[in-house]
Amino acid sequence: MLFAIVAVPFFSGMLMFLPFSKPVRLWFVLGAAFAHLVFCGCFWRSMPCSEFNEFLTLDPLGLIVLSIISGVFCLIAVYAIGYYVHEQRSNRTFCACLLFLLASMTLVTLCNHLGLLWVALASTTLFAAPLISFHRCPESLEATWKYLLVCSVGVALALMGTFFLAFAGHEVQTLFLSDIINGKILLSGRWLKLAVIFMSVGYGCKMGLAPMHSWKPAAYGQATGMVAALMSSVVTLCSFLAFCRIGQICAKSGLSDFYSSLLFIMGGLSLVIAPVLILGEGGLKRVLAYSSVENMGILVLGLGFGGLGVFAALFHMVNNALSKAVMFLTAGSIAQKYGSTRVSHVRGVVHAYPVTGVFLLIGLFAGTGMFPFATFHSELMVINAAIISRHYGLAALFVASLSLMFIGMTRIIFEMSQGPATAPVLAKQENFWMNVAIALPVLALVILGLWMPAPLEIMLRKAAGLLTPGVV
Amino acid sequence: MMTTWINASCILVVFLALSILASYRMAGMIHLFAAQSLVVGLVPLFLRQFSLSQNDLMIVAITIVSKSFITPNILFWAIRHVPTRAEVKPLIGIGASLLVSALLIAVAFWVAASLQLPGLSKSNLVLPCSLAAVLLGFMLLVTRTRAISQVVGYLVMENGIFLFALSLFDAMPILIEMGILLDVFVAVFIMAIVVNHINEEFSRQPMTLVRSKMGENT
Amino acid sequence: MLLLKSIVLQWLYVGLMAPFLCGVIIKTKALVVGRVGPPLFQPFYDLLKLTRKQNVYSQTTTFIFRCAPVVVLSSLLILSLFIPLISQPAPIRFAGDILMFVYLLGIGRFFLIASSFDTGFSFAGMGASREAFFSCFTEVAFFMNLIILALLAQSISLSQMIGASTPLSWPLFGPALILVVSSLFLILLAENGRIPVDDPATHLELTMIHEVMILDYSGRDLAAMLYGAMLKFLIFAGILVPLLVPVRLGQAFPDLLVFTAGLIAIAVLVGIIESIMARLRLNRVRHLLLAAFALAFFGFIVTLWSRL
Repeated sequence: MLFAIVAVPFFSGMLMFLPFSKPVRLWFVLGAAFAHLVFCGCFWRSMPCSEFNEFLTLDPLGLIVLSIISGVFCLIAVYAIGYYVHEQRSNRTFCACLLFLLASMTLVTLCNHLGLLWVALASTTLFAAPLISFHRCPESLEATWKYLLVCSVGVALALMGTFFLAFAGHEVQTLFLSDIINGKILLSGRWLKLAVIFMSVGYGCKMGLAPMHSWKPAAYGQATGMVAALMSSVVTLCSFLAFCRIGQICAKSGLSDFYSSLLFIMGGLSLVIAPVLILGEGGLKRVLAYSSVENMGILVLGLGFGGLGVFAALFHMVNNALSKAVMFLTAGSIAQKYGSTRVSHVRGVVHAYPVTGVFLLIGLFAGTGMFPFATFHSELMVINAAIISRHYGLAALFVASLSLMFIGMTRIIFEMSQGPATAPVLAKQENFWMNVAIALPVLALVILGLWMPAPLEIMLRKAAGLLTPGVV
Repeated sequence: MMTTWINASCILVVFLALSILASYRMAGMIHLFAAQSLVVGLVPLFLRQFSLSQNDLMIVAITIVSKSFITPNILFWAIRHVPTRAEVKPLIGIGASLLVSALLIAVAFWVAASLQLPGLSKSNLVLPCSLAAVLLGFMLLVTRTRAISQVVGYLVMENGIFLFALSLFDAMPILIEMGILLDVFVAVFIMAIVVNHINEEFSRQPMTLVRSKMGENT
Repeated sequence: MLLLKSIVLQWLYVGLMAPFLCGVIIKTKALVVGRVGPPLFQPFYDLLKLTRKQNVYSQTTTFIFRCAPVVVLSSLLILSLFIPLISQPAPIRFAGDILMFVYLLGIGRFFLIASSFDTGFSFAGMGASREAFFSCFTEVAFFMNLIILALLAQSISLSQMIGASTPLSWPLFGPALILVVSSLFLILLAENGRIPVDDPATHLELTMIHEVMILDYSGRDLAAMLYGAMLKFLIFAGILVPLLVPVRLGQAFPDLLVFTAGLIAIAVLVGIIESIMARLRLNRVRHLLLAAFALAFFGFIVTLWSRL
């Protein structure tokens, strides 16, 4: 079963190289995404057992991330059907890379061996890169190159950290996560600390935490809406999963305080840098990129607080994925209609395209954490966790950062949605598929904001229990 | 005796990394990288004192073939149409790069010495040399403006990490080592493709990545 | 008495080997490109011819111009007494003689540069400035190498560093020695004005360094300057050979044979390098010398690490 969920997208990706027509490929992608979702549903009902000599297992944390990946991917597949109505370019590389990316992200969630985890994360970097340079213009090529280099370097550092971790074992050297967690292997001080530092910095590069965030505005600014949505929602989640695994190892080896301080530094820096840099921006997607940097900081801070904070971080994982999907997909619609997402070119969206304009405003409120969206609850829980664990300074920083972020995003989104309408370039009409793809996560966010379904809560608690002893 | 061979290979790896930093011709850089990969690939032979299992032999063969032969060919393919094969304007000149890299080597050795990590024999040069190679590759990546030079810098970093991995333990299952090699290989492949696209786009301009104001696109 | 005997023998050996090595280099270069080339002992004949010619002095020169050949030749002759012939210790040896070594080289270089300024000839000045510039780098790199050798051999006398009866063993010190040898080789090429640093065969104004400084000399002075250059090559090669050849047979004559063979091998190598490479642009020469320094520095760090 576990092998199947990785194999299906991988082999579908290989099939994309056969000469199909554009719509056929997109329906195929949707079909593969749907099959993936079905597998996921089966796993919710009964957890599968480990395969391949314990290389692949599924634990509650992995299952949550897997479901998020599955859900968001289905949304992207639906959106793509609508997007390609007006797009002339061939989608062979696009669909193939999407499916390979799905396969490697799935592999990340299933890994029990840290070396395999590295291989899968490195593959996500490699398969996401061609997606960014979708339009092949000079700026997007430069953005792709920046992304590829920064993330590859980060991943190389993480590889070094992985080797240090293996060397940290006393008698036996192993990289199997389950062996480390179950206490079969003991890890010793200095090598482990070095490993944790290298791996955090490396995977932090990939996640887009400050000060390694410089690729995010470029990459998300140049990528199309779908690709940016995919990357900001789920690809960054995969690196966050790596952070959680490191957290598990640290908790087992007694280095929790050391790891927490590391996380506070990186999270705190992201919370400081993102609002400062957002205030001068003039493009919607770059603003959303900085918002993504900030949300990654929130996730990492929540993980560092422990206890309630971990639960909050995991819940925020879900909410962030959905809200970023909403915002970036809307940005993609606007870009397709107006040819750009800069404030100078786009005005009065609400008047020209009512549905898209409303989605833009909903996305603003969902992304910045307003009631009744679920992001409100998760961010409130993180602040709560900060105060419970007596990090008052960080709590204050958090609130200030959120406010500044709100100001920055509101300024640009209100300017774009209100005012006299500028003439659109293409696509005179709203597209049904694209709107459906945006409406679904909005609905999910509202529902989650008002009511937490029991299975989700149980799974979140189990996952948080893996990472920290004192879950409220 | 074997320690001397291992130490000599480590020194050679850093020596070649230094030569890559001192060269300004892309062809020279790629050939020096191929030589460096060859040295890194031969390290298991010295480690196991020439009595190799089948796994080790396979690792050696695949490392050498993929990194010393196939990867340089891919890189040369990526720059096949580029007329000017020299570094146009590095961020710091080669003289300054050499001095900074001498400093970085000192830093790497100092870090390795001050860490006092258990489990490593004191006479072993592997950790400081692999750290030095990583730092030198990183410097190459950061200070050069041409895309291929940056790729070579990344590959030198990977060589340094691989040197550490090959030398220090044999707990890595063969599958994972193959996976790592494959990943690096695919990384080079994709980078070469992107460089190819860059070359086609910028075909009328000199081959530096233009630091233009970031535009946006759909 | 013994000292006098060793000095005489050393001078005899060095005095005859120096022009011979020069001849070997020229012959190698000719053979590599497919010519027959001049006879091996041609430099001897050239020097003899020059000693029979008359000195001509320009009117703008002063006593410095007349002193310089004497100083250069004498400093290099004294330097040649510092070189141990493999296991045979050098005639002049004392603790700290490496410093004297470097400063003797420096005094010769200073007088050479001063004499070329003395001619008032702009090209000579140009060559002198290049020589001064490059010597900044080579001296630093050379010092670094000497420090490494001193640390490895636990002594600061040249005879004990490279002429010891038990050589610096490659198995023990291999890594650092690789770096020292490569750095010293680059320094040898730079100090003696070989390709890729300078072309000894060219007399084009734009490209000369050493040749242009001695352009105004004639007759016996020119013979002294040329002979000095040959001695310098032998001295530097003589430092390199004991490091490369860790063989100590213990008896004088076989060791001498080994030393001679090593010197000839290095001369052939230099000849081959001169034939296959072109001279570097003057910018790049600076990079080459900095690379020599970087290698020496790296070797120094490795030596410190292995003594931790």
